[in-house]
Amino acid sequence: MVGLSLGEQTFIKGGIEQDLRTDGRKRLTYRPIFLETGIIPQASGSARVKLGATDVIASVKVELGKPNPSYPDKGKVSIYVDCSPTAEPSFQGRGGEELSTELSSALERCLLGGKSGAGAGIDLSSLCIVRGKKVCWDLYIDGLVVSSDGNMLDALGAAIKAALSNTVIPKVQVSANAPSDETPEVDVSDEEFLQFDTSGVPVIVTLTKVGGHYIVDATTEEESQMSSAVSVSINRLGRICGLTKRGGAGLHPTVVLDTISAAKHVSEQLMNKLDSEIAAAEACDEMES
Amino acid sequence: MTYCNRAACYLAVLKTGAVNSSSGSAYAEFGNTKVIVSVFGPRESKKAMMYSNAGRLNCNVSYTTFASPVRGQTPETKNISAMLHRALEGAIILKSFPKTTVDVFALVLESGGSIMLYDMVAAVSVSCIGKNLLIDPVSEEESHQDGALTITCMPSRNEVTQMTVTGEWSTTKINEAMQLCLDACSKLGKVMRSCLKEAASAPQD
Repeated sequence: MVGLSLGEQTFIKGGIEQDLRTDGRKRLTYRPIFLETGIIPQASGSARVKLGATDVIASVKVELGKPNPSYPDKGKVSIYVDCSPTAEPSFQGRGGEELSTELSSALERCLLGGKSGAGAGIDLSSLCIVRGKKVCWDLYIDGLVVSSDGNMLDALGAAIKAALSNTVIPKVQVSANAPSDETPEVDVSDEEFLQFDTSGVPVIVTLTKVGGHYIVDATTEEESQMSSAVSVSINRLGRICGLTKRGGAGLHPTVVLDTISAAKHVSEQLMNKLDSEIAAAEACDEMES
Repeated sequence: MTYCNRAACYLAVLKTGAVNSSSGSAYAEFGNTKVIVSVFGPRESKKAMMYSNAGRLNCNVSYTTFASPVRGQTPETKNISAMLHRALEGAIILKSFPKTTVDVFALVLESGGSIMLYDMVAAVSVSCIGKNLLIDPVSEEESHQDGALTITCMPSRNEVTQMTVTGEWSTTKINEAMQLCLDACSKLGKVMRSCLKEAASAPQD
């Protein structure tokens, strides 16, 4: 919880009204993004994103698993976010748990698409190893909030996107003569790897409504003054892949459509920015190793 | 626009006063989905809670074990309490009962689709399959959907209190689906209103 005096509250709200926020940004400007990839050697892919004082880590692990019987030619993905109490005392106990589930389900909604797989950022059928065999890749995506200063969903979305582009899946050899109703023997190569296709992974843009205006990338102080927030995930083609609303106050339907078009506009810049940052981080990562 | 034949909600059955011991309760039926909701309070918040000038809203949605074809919880059901909470939060004047808690408990008896609604907040979901938009999808339709959009709104104030979207959508499609949902919400709002009026004018026994 942020304790703000009445004067501070008015200052924040007044600034947003005049398109000049307390840290000098405009309403639709992000804080500088700092991005690192390949920071966790045990994981198949990892990334760390800093957005001002917000600091998150995402890691991706791939493991061999059994596909869901109802979708035999698809892999599985699970997303879990941990809000550690080291980031903020209020994350201790149930406070952190609630936020964790909220963030995890919002990310699932934004990245995994509909039930038939349309609009999914991660193509589940690419995780299938051999069609009809009872073996597939399970993707475990874990997010960790190290330090929180607002806008955690966007930061986590960016970190997961970077971690996925850093992810390598080992090449496997499946013995062909095994009967199809049994789990086949799999030979996992530890030298040859496949890159993961991340072109479809969307970016998440959260628009926070403070007073009569909405802002992107709100800090904790600004978030404490919000009436509601809309998180939209948008892919490279400009299509909407998911939407979540937070905050209790109601929104007029036209405002919702307004925020969607504003998010679309902002997402193009964010997508380009992230792409170049990820490319730079990957290059830096390769130089070191 | 191409809608499937069934671009209309199931006939909704609504009854108030389903549970005697609660401050207010209702039973709702949409096709095969049957839900009981009871509201308790406002009563004194637990001692462990911090002092608060505004009242608290506590929502809990539970499913009977036989509610869905597959026994036990599915991932979607876990999140529904939080969704209900957010949907109702904006509609209740929490400031009018400081230091107290209002509890809303919902029990899904049978789930044949997805619908949640209570108070004067109406909720409607739309499924997108191919180019078609289906309102109030049943379970089978939901399992094949390309995308889903759920809106809860306060029809008389024309405000959206909760909205979620999954799957891939273009802006025009979202527009279309939202309009469809909002129209259905206002119809549902009327059903709820008339149901409440009936219950209020009925002789007390």
